Amino acid sequence: MRIGVIKAYFKKELLDIYRSKLILMVYIMPSMLLILFGYGIKTEVTHTRTLIIDNDQSKASYDLVSTFEHSKYFNSETKNLSENRALNLIKQDKKDLIIIIPEAFEKHLLKGLKTSVGVYIDGSFPSRAKTIENYVNGVIYDAIMKRSGTEVDRALITINARNLFNQSLRDEDMIVPGVIGLVLLIAPAILSALLIVKEKENGTIFNFYSSPVKKSEFLAAKLLSVLLLHGINIFILFLWAIYLFELPFRGSFLLYIFSSFIYIIISLSVGLLVSIITSSQIVAYVLTLIITIIPGFLYSGMLMPISSMEGESVIEAHIYPVMYYTHILYDVFLVGDGLSASKNLLYLFILMGYAIILLTIGSLLLKKRIV
Amino acid sequence: MNRLQVREVSVSYRKKTGLKPVSLEATGGEIIGLIGADGAGKSSLMHAIAGIKSFDGEIEFDNHIYRSPKEAEKVKGSIGFMPQGLGLILYEQLGVNEHLDFFADIRGIKQDSAFRVYRERLLHMAGLSDFTERQAGKLSGGMMQKLALICTLLHRPKLLLLDEPTTGVDPLSRMELWDILNDIIAKEKTLCIVSTAYMAEATQMYRVLLFEDGEIIDKGKAGELIEKVRPFSYEAAPEPFENSITIHGYTYSLKPLELKPKEPTLNAVFFINFLKKYGPIPEISIVHKDRDEDVPATIMEAKGLTKRFREFVANDHIDMELNRGEILGLLGANGAGKTTFIKMLLGLLPIDEGELFLLGKRIKSANDRQMLKAKIGYVSQHFALYKGMSVRENLRYFANMHRIEPERTSVLIKEYADTLGFYSYLDALPTDLPMGINQRFSVAAAIMHEPVVLFLDEPTSGVDVVARATFWEMLQKLKEEWNIAILITTHYMGEAEFCDRVVLLRDGKKIADDTVKNLYQIHPDAHNFEDIFLDYYNLN
Amino acid sequence: MRAFLAIIRKELLEFLRSYGLFIVVLYSFTLDVYIAGNGINLDARNVSVGVVDYSPGFISNKILSDLHYPQFQEPVFFASQEKLNLAIRNKEIMVGIVFESDFGKRYHTGNNPVLNLLLDSTASAQSYLALNYIQHILMRFQDTLSFAPIEIQIHKLFNPNTSYSHFMALAELLSIITILAVILTAAVFVKEKENGTWDIMLLMPTDAKAVILAKSLSQVIIVMIGTTICVGTVLFGIFDLPINGSLAAFMLLTFFYAFTSAGIGLFIASVARNIMQVAQFSVLIMMPLLFLSGAWTPVYAMHPILECLSIISPLRYYIQGSESVFFRGTALIDLREYFAGVIVLGGVLFWYGFRKIGKLF
Repeated sequence: MRIGVIKAYFKKELLDIYRSKLILMVYIMPSMLLILFGYGIKTEVTHTRTLIIDNDQSKASYDLVSTFEHSKYFNSETKNLSENRALNLIKQDKKDLIIIIPEAFEKHLLKGLKTSVGVYIDGSFPSRAKTIENYVNGVIYDAIMKRSGTEVDRALITINARNLFNQSLRDEDMIVPGVIGLVLLIAPAILSALLIVKEKENGTIFNFYSSPVKKSEFLAAKLLSVLLLHGINIFILFLWAIYLFELPFRGSFLLYIFSSFIYIIISLSVGLLVSIITSSQIVAYVLTLIITIIPGFLYSGMLMPISSMEGESVIEAHIYPVMYYTHILYDVFLVGDGLSASKNLLYLFILMGYAIILLTIGSLLLKKRIV
Repeated sequence: MNRLQVREVSVSYRKKTGLKPVSLEATGGEIIGLIGADGAGKSSLMHAIAGIKSFDGEIEFDNHIYRSPKEAEKVKGSIGFMPQGLGLILYEQLGVNEHLDFFADIRGIKQDSAFRVYRERLLHMAGLSDFTERQAGKLSGGMMQKLALICTLLHRPKLLLLDEPTTGVDPLSRMELWDILNDIIAKEKTLCIVSTAYMAEATQMYRVLLFEDGEIIDKGKAGELIEKVRPFSYEAAPEPFENSITIHGYTYSLKPLELKPKEPTLNAVFFINFLKKYGPIPEISIVHKDRDEDVPATIMEAKGLTKRFREFVANDHIDMELNRGEILGLLGANGAGKTTFIKMLLGLLPIDEGELFLLGKRIKSANDRQMLKAKIGYVSQHFALYKGMSVRENLRYFANMHRIEPERTSVLIKEYADTLGFYSYLDALPTDLPMGINQRFSVAAAIMHEPVVLFLDEPTSGVDVVARATFWEMLQKLKEEWNIAILITTHYMGEAEFCDRVVLLRDGKKIADDTVKNLYQIHPDAHNFEDIFLDYYNLN
Repeated sequence: MRAFLAIIRKELLEFLRSYGLFIVVLYSFTLDVYIAGNGINLDARNVSVGVVDYSPGFISNKILSDLHYPQFQEPVFFASQEKLNLAIRNKEIMVGIVFESDFGKRYHTGNNPVLNLLLDSTASAQSYLALNYIQHILMRFQDTLSFAPIEIQIHKLFNPNTSYSHFMALAELLSIITILAVILTAAVFVKEKENGTWDIMLLMPTDAKAVILAKSLSQVIIVMIGTTICVGTVLFGIFDLPINGSLAAFMLLTFFYAFTSAGIGLFIASVARNIMQVAQFSVLIMMPLLFLSGAWTPVYAMHPILECLSIISPLRYYIQGSESVFFRGTALIDLREYFAGVIVLGGVLFWYGFRKIGKLF
């Protein structure tokens, strides 16, 4: 390999990316995706629009109502409406939750008789509905326990739950590492596919075909450009995560940097493979998006933990390299075991294996001639 | 010695054969010309020799034998290859100097003082010394091609393969390209293989190979090739003979005729071959249309038309008249302002200064332009038609846009397809058509609404000799039958002679406007129109 | 009018003949929606459980037997808490349960029995839900409800089984409609620029307004057909999505909305030089719009500034409107706000895009 050749290509690539304004794409898209998803995906539900119909108007019911009023999860309003009109409010998407406290609520409670509270939840957004259901259960049971706890003859089992790695259950802590894994899969793949297909489409690929430039030199130059350009994104994304989203960073910075670079190599090899079978930029772009976004989402562990998967999706998750990288990402941000955990080490080796295999396949399939 | 031997080399593509087995031998200092129609196998042979396409057979150069692109790697250092297409190997965003640096680096050239001298010389010869910072995307076509050539010459190749380097390039740049080439070949003893669509260029070459359907059907010095067809060339016959072709002042016939023989050119080789293979060219006629005699004699008149792009004046106060029943050739170097001028006439670019009259009416408002659109026909460079639709669907679309009644459209399509000879291609997609057919069908699409004036922007670039000749036949007939005005741009100076009048542009200014006959009288030393063109351009 | 129809016909023909594009569009409206509906599930399902049981085991086993499919996997037993910890750190186990040695005794004597839970909260949503499930199970186990006098009757309206596939599939379809309407419309103009037919198009004696309108309408038609196919085959066919409102209202809303997106497409077409730029600009413009739409986070839970901004996102009205039609079965009269939002914003956007591209004519 001649350094001069690689340098020449590299310099040309940088000039081209800069002057064709592709540079904006390289540095805006990853940060934009991270910020949008980081702020945009919220599993915590706040400000649930709640309507409480208090048919009892007693002390007990006021107590219950005030618990809702004091919770940040609910924006509650008390009103006397017929059940039907209240339900219509959900239909019109004016309310998410309706709680109906029955008549004689307090009387029944004092007498120890059964009484039932009606809860209506808008189920159109299923994960929100589920969360709201849990909140409501929690609030009402808490209220019951407070009232009745002393009367119970035996102590109940208390749960001593420890939320490991993410004590306050922050959505950002869960989403941001996953999105980094997604972004670093998509963006370098697109760029490397474009850099090669662009030459094919414009005809400048002939300079490579007809000169003594070796395949290894051509590839090294192209892929190094992508690696270095997106290498900077590793740091940029890190800064967003730490300073904007205030994630903890408990692991080794070196491990983060090293595994991210390996991962970018995998991603740009995917782009390389795409560039081999396509000859126009737009097709390469769309194809890369299709083959990276969906597995990137599904197998990052962001939406569903890998341990919860069943059937073929377990196998698929293990085939795509995404899972190995996000595992390490969650470790460096939230867990902090680093390479002392054998699994991290194993996954790092698997990533390296992927990088080597994909890069080898890509460079074998790349032909230095018109196909 | 730079000795090239091609032994039984053939090239095949997925669906078709590109080149049937051919053999060839050549040594340094020679210029070998490849001529023939599109897809005849010229490019395939060059790709095989350049080692960028798999092939069967064996090639030996510089004592290295190779049978595949992989084995060719060792000779690529001494080969320079320039593929077909204006500035194809250039990077739009890179400047002239940046290109030279890049090509020097990927060729691993030591940048010593000798190299710097050589590089300056190339830059100077290409006339690019003053534009070293300009980006390739902003160069004119001719400059791009010169830059591409010097980039290819930078590593002093011993074997130079140039695939139609002069197509789409103006005569001046073409001459400069050849000056560079001749200079280098003489000094470096380079072996040079060039394909060209300009027969005048081919005549100058050491040897010519004539390609057809993937085979070399004839080879030798241009003179030898011409000699072979001499018996079949006659002065044009007043009446068509059976099994003969009468075109451009010649009649070609395989059977002896009672006509005066005429000194043939290399073009004759193509017609004779066509005659041998397909017989006479099918007659082209034009759909009948009543001559609009109430159309004024001056169809279009431009007074002081000016177009500026920021500081740059693309058209500088150009006056021009276009008359009924006249073919006007608009000539000029790449970047002289021809396309800008046509776009102003068409209303595609706003006029910065000056007046434009169509059919005696001043064109000012958008409404006037709308009127203008119904009266003109336009065939753009590369015959831009819709690739997703068949010929018939394209024609129907254009007819609908011009509000031609559906019943009439069907009749018209059939008539045009019959008379212009593309009936059997009616249901094919434009991308599957031969260039010549595409060209005629584009004209049909442009004249269906019976315009009074037709604009053609480089309609003949990249089209082979026979198709070009038939195309001009068609234009002549169109002019005669319809009494239409035609404005055409071309880089083939030979075609200027078919025009009634010629306007020459240079740097956005009109420098000549006269009939071909008068121009020859003004320039008595000129052998052909190219000489006249160069005269104007060399006069300061 | 004939010219208008001819343009629409031509654009549809060209779309059908550009196989690559055709396949991508078909893929988006079918397989892509299917994958989204099928693959994305935010519920806590099949959660892996690890147990360290230092207690004699009688009570603990009884509690564990209540952890079962579909919420939980079969519990895995670990010899020590260290081993359990390791498994959690390696993400093999999401929920760890530790029974102390005196757990059973304390339970029977009522001496404050404690169940130790270790939750991997890197997936905070699922771990929170898992915690809730376990709380529930414990309550039922201890028969809390029998002596608690309140019964909570939960009715989850419109989607009683909390099916994620319905929601995700519809959300994906709405995104696809948005993005394709933008890209297809922009592409139909930019393709002419790329292929050199732009000048030819300008030279047609047809009015520029008619050309722009016809070209936009042709792409809206493609999107509408795609939507119909998707609703018919994927939403109704595969996912058996119930529709509580009027399908016609949805289609009408989609029609107006497609024009809104087309307006954005026109704007992109006026600045993009080639298809590549169309793709890039579309991503840069549409991502923030999708974010502001409330598709991921309800508008009222956003930062107040963003909440204000979302008023100008036509997607907001479209997505809320469509969800209302499908899930809430909102009456036509109550959809007026969404229709008004889409039509007003769409009108403005389309007018703006129309003017931008019109300047090129």
